Amino acid sequence: MDKKKLKWQLAVIGLVVLLFLGIDLAIYQLFIKRVISHHSPGMQKMSVEVSDYVPFTGSENLYSIQGAVELEGDLPTIDGAAALMPMYAGFVESIYPADSVIYNGESYDDASAMHYTNTRGAYKDIVDGNADLIICVAPSQEQLAYAAQNGVDLEMVEIGKDAFVFIVNSDNPVSDLTVEQIRGIYSGEITNWKELGGPNVPIAAMRRNEGSGSQTALENLMGDTPIVADYTALFGSPIGFSFRYYVTGMLAEGGVKMLSVNGVEPNIENIASGAYPVTSSIYAVYRKGETNENVYKAVDFMLSKEGQEIVEKSGYVPVK
Amino acid sequence: MKNRTFGVILTLVIIIGLGVTAGLLIHGYNLWKQISIVEMIANWG
Repeated sequence: MDKKKLKWQLAVIGLVVLLFLGIDLAIYQLFIKRVISHHSPGMQKMSVEVSDYVPFTGSENLYSIQGAVELEGDLPTIDGAAALMPMYAGFVESIYPADSVIYNGESYDDASAMHYTNTRGAYKDIVDGNADLIICVAPSQEQLAYAAQNGVDLEMVEIGKDAFVFIVNSDNPVSDLTVEQIRGIYSGEITNWKELGGPNVPIAAMRRNEGSGSQTALENLMGDTPIVADYTALFGSPIGFSFRYYVTGMLAEGGVKMLSVNGVEPNIENIASGAYPVTSSIYAVYRKGETNENVYKAVDFMLSKEGQEIVEKSGYVPVK
Repeated sequence: MKNRTFGVILTLVIIIGLGVTAGLLIHGYNLWKQISIVEMIANWG
């Protein structure tokens, strides 16, 4: 009787141990394995290092042209999107005084003329008065509403363009999607890669946080079609989205590939000609009625021959 | 094994199991907060 009881007790303990092992193995395989190599040397190269784009540090990642315009007096605080950092850091290096940028090795000082808070922070800061000029793609409806609630009208001047790109794992055999297929994926109508000529694997349709530049670009692409949350994302092969230069120029490209859309590759020629169907305008944004003359001088510089050269040499598509 | 001993062992196994599972989830969540969409897709075959 005691032996039987002992066996039963050991079996219960063994089952509980196995249950936890199974759960932990599933968590590792489905979740942690996909993010754990973030700290490997290869993956480190795929994170944008702000310190690589600090003006006046001799960074080889920046293209600037000194001498055309030199701002002095009340300097506008400039901010912007991560994906556009090379461009606006290049502007700053071209027209701002060198001592106006204060970077402490990890972040920009509050007193610095250049900040980096990314798209969401930049749109909030320009409304709140913590930034005077921001370089971003179009704002989200929520960001426009926040500006309206605070009685701020935003002036948006187009200074460049970039492709809104869709990326998949480089092992994924699918290389091209139509705009309608992309809408089908993010509306939840298309849920498996086999519907798109790929393997019989669910699609993990990844999204970004609300208010990020690329999430707003997706919302604009979707139009009135609602974006459906993908609750099966853990089990599938992913698709995500970003901007072309962010993927090809600012991050090591290994491990992902950009898809062509409607059979057109997202390269500079196809963006400039309008052949690539999903481009996003890059704007210099300031408050309507701005009284700081330097804001207008800076925007005029961005649209000048020199400014547009910076746009192009920084990896984006000029508008002039 | 006495019932009390069994109960103690089972409780310890459950506490340790829950702790490891929670630790894995917290560790994964902290990594996930830092990873970019591009990195995640590169990791994710």
